[in-house]
Amino acid sequence: MNIRSNIIIAACAAALAAAPAWAQFKPTKPVEFIVHTGPGGGADVLARFMAQVIEKENLAPVRFQVNNKSGGGGLTAMAYVAEKKGDTHAIAVFTGNWLTNPLTRTEAKFTVKDMTPVARLVLEPALVAVKADAPFKTLKDFIEASKKAPGTMKQSGGSTTSRDNVVRQLLMKDTGANWAYISFPGGGERIAALLGGHVNMMVIEPQEAGEHIKAGNMRVIAQVSDKRLAGYPNVPTIKEAGYDIPNVEQVRGIVMPSGVAPDVVAYYEDLFLRLSKTATWQKYLEEQQFQDGYMKSAELAKFFDVYTDKMRGILKEAGAKVVR
Amino acid sequence: MEVLTSLGHGFAVAFQPLNLFWCFAGVFLGTVVGVMPGLGPAATIAMLLPLTFNMPPTSAVIMLAGIYYGAKYGGSTTAILLNVPGESASVVTCLDGYQMARNGRAGAALGIAAISSFIAGTVGVIGLMLLAPPLAKFALSFSSPEYFALMAMGLAMVVLLAGDSMIKALLAMLVGLWIASMGIDLFSDASRFTFGQTEMLDGVDFVIVAIGVFALGEVLGNMEKRGEGTMLPVPKGLRNLLPTMAELKACRFAFLNGSIIGFVIGVLPGAGSTIASFISYGVEKAVSKHPEKFGTGVPEGVAAPEGANNSETGGALVPLLTLGIPGSGTTAILLAAFILWGLRPGPLMIQDNPELFWGLVASMYVGNIMLLVLNLPLIPLFAQILKLREYILYPIIFGISVVGVFAVSASLFDCWMLAAFALLGYAMRRLDYPTAPLILGLVLGDSMERALRQSLMMSQGDLGILVSRPISATMLFLAVALLCLPLFRRANTWRLKALEENG
Repeated sequence: MNIRSNIIIAACAAALAAAPAWAQFKPTKPVEFIVHTGPGGGADVLARFMAQVIEKENLAPVRFQVNNKSGGGGLTAMAYVAEKKGDTHAIAVFTGNWLTNPLTRTEAKFTVKDMTPVARLVLEPALVAVKADAPFKTLKDFIEASKKAPGTMKQSGGSTTSRDNVVRQLLMKDTGANWAYISFPGGGERIAALLGGHVNMMVIEPQEAGEHIKAGNMRVIAQVSDKRLAGYPNVPTIKEAGYDIPNVEQVRGIVMPSGVAPDVVAYYEDLFLRLSKTATWQKYLEEQQFQDGYMKSAELAKFFDVYTDKMRGILKEAGAKVVR
Repeated sequence: MEVLTSLGHGFAVAFQPLNLFWCFAGVFLGTVVGVMPGLGPAATIAMLLPLTFNMPPTSAVIMLAGIYYGAKYGGSTTAILLNVPGESASVVTCLDGYQMARNGRAGAALGIAAISSFIAGTVGVIGLMLLAPPLAKFALSFSSPEYFALMAMGLAMVVLLAGDSMIKALLAMLVGLWIASMGIDLFSDASRFTFGQTEMLDGVDFVIVAIGVFALGEVLGNMEKRGEGTMLPVPKGLRNLLPTMAELKACRFAFLNGSIIGFVIGVLPGAGSTIASFISYGVEKAVSKHPEKFGTGVPEGVAAPEGANNSETGGALVPLLTLGIPGSGTTAILLAAFILWGLRPGPLMIQDNPELFWGLVASMYVGNIMLLVLNLPLIPLFAQILKLREYILYPIIFGISVVGVFAVSASLFDCWMLAAFALLGYAMRRLDYPTAPLILGLVLGDSMERALRQSLMMSQGDLGILVSRPISATMLFLAVALLCLPLFRRANTWRLKALEENG
């Protein structure tokens, strides 16, 4: 599998470098836009928004039709894409889950290695937040407090393989502190647990936190990001706060089935580059407080490897059963 | 007074012709997707979302909210007529609604469902309007131990749903709890009972089980008796198609009970409308003078759950609009929609966007009236379905069920699961196992397990956390009382018998 996709990538790179003289690929029928969530899920809303932008800004000659392949925590959609080998009219939104879930699930039959990377689009930074009336003013305060009473401080978050927990694991290992991690299935319940004072801290997406911070219910003590976000110039990143842990990116982007010609990949790569340059897209990123993470196919393939290795290490250390 | 002025402004917004149109479009679409099993309001809103990008946000939210509460009206139709729950929250309506239809009171059941939906929907909006900010605070005081106690109370309702044999009811409930545990475990990321199938990783969809066990199980059971060739009685004349005064009077308390319980549970982000309708049904039965008649087609048994699942909508909008916290799949999509329009629901929403908030509230009053006007005339029409011969009706139910399940996931695997659950439902009927406890276990199992494990993680393994918090302790006490209820009843019967024999 590894070799096959490497060949494709090599071919892509070669094709791009040589600026092929042969006919450029253009989609001739509606393109299937696969997402792993049901209607309304994060990836679905993103895909529908992108399809809308493509249509409105006339970026492509055909329509992009969202197809929800939900189920299996994303694995159903991954299998669907992988099995469409050679289909030039199918693309899919991938998220960090596509990279981490196969690591812990024996049921997974495919990984992103069985697909062609097209483009990385979005980086989602996060904030470390506490309730406004909590005694912690900095991340250090929280960590010192949890060192004093191991296991009594609590963090609300998603599943054990989610970024929230990965950040916690990295911080605990770096500092020797120890606090509890309580999983909630929905973002709303995580926030409710924090605001109700039932947990002490959470890792939250900036757009989820915005209103609560403005209303004075929540305080941000650190940022999970390489650089400070525009909206929070005075809050240090975790590294700046003095904790030297690797940054855990949350990514979203586009992949497509394997076995497609380089000019096809180049077409979609360019399409999403044009999309990412539109004012609508830039405004969307700003509103959602995402970072523009555009990356081309060849770079993205490398990113997949690095990210997967990093997550494998982190998950193993966290005690998760890593199967591949 | 301030509320009235604001509401006045709200009505000014809602009565703009364009907004009236969008409100109608929303409630109409909502009724349609509610009637169709499988396709729910969440999926509909998500698919229509891109269309709303160019609309003024107030009109858009009026329409999308219309779909949300309109679907709750429509959901009861197939539940009552065909025993096919149109959406998850109308499962409980099947219990007595379908029996009413079998007794020739289909029109009455549909009428009561519509009236109850209207009353409760309106109560829900009043609650949203007057109580939103203080109730949001109350919702936050609820945490995992309280949710566990609430679910325990719901699970104790099994004693009310049991037929003749408590053991059979408990067994059915355990099977429901087992099905609920299938899929990926949130806490350990381990997969449970997936048999190596990717399709099973997300667990078993509640809709599949409900349609399989209720609707198809019933059809299979009836097909056995086809030789007897009984058609369901559909009385002639409009008067017989509407609820009688006596029936409406019997529902007085149920209207109120459903409205209040639905709203309160709706406000809690961790509980949904299905739980609300089960609990209000249970309460109705527990306080009823003739609890033994529940499940045979009593109007209260339709009014309570239908009311609860409609006022739940108003309740669920409280944490969404005042805290930015969605409590269900549908409100989560509404939140995504707000964000795409550049609005941020949260503590400052009412203050910053009064036009939108009050316009929405006013439109919900208008929408509820529209729904009542829209639904009542349709009743005689829908009731005609029962006049069909079985050899036409049963294939229709089969078709609707399979298409409904396929529409949710577009997966054939789910259709096979539907077949398996249809057989299970048939077997349960043949062996005289009640099916409602199975659904109850399935609805509550997942959230109950989660709440318990969250509580124990919070307390570092100390079970005391469940009884040391007043709200949680009270609800657990009620749950125990509920479990003891049949014992009291039995003791009372013995006492009466003894008295008779002595006398």
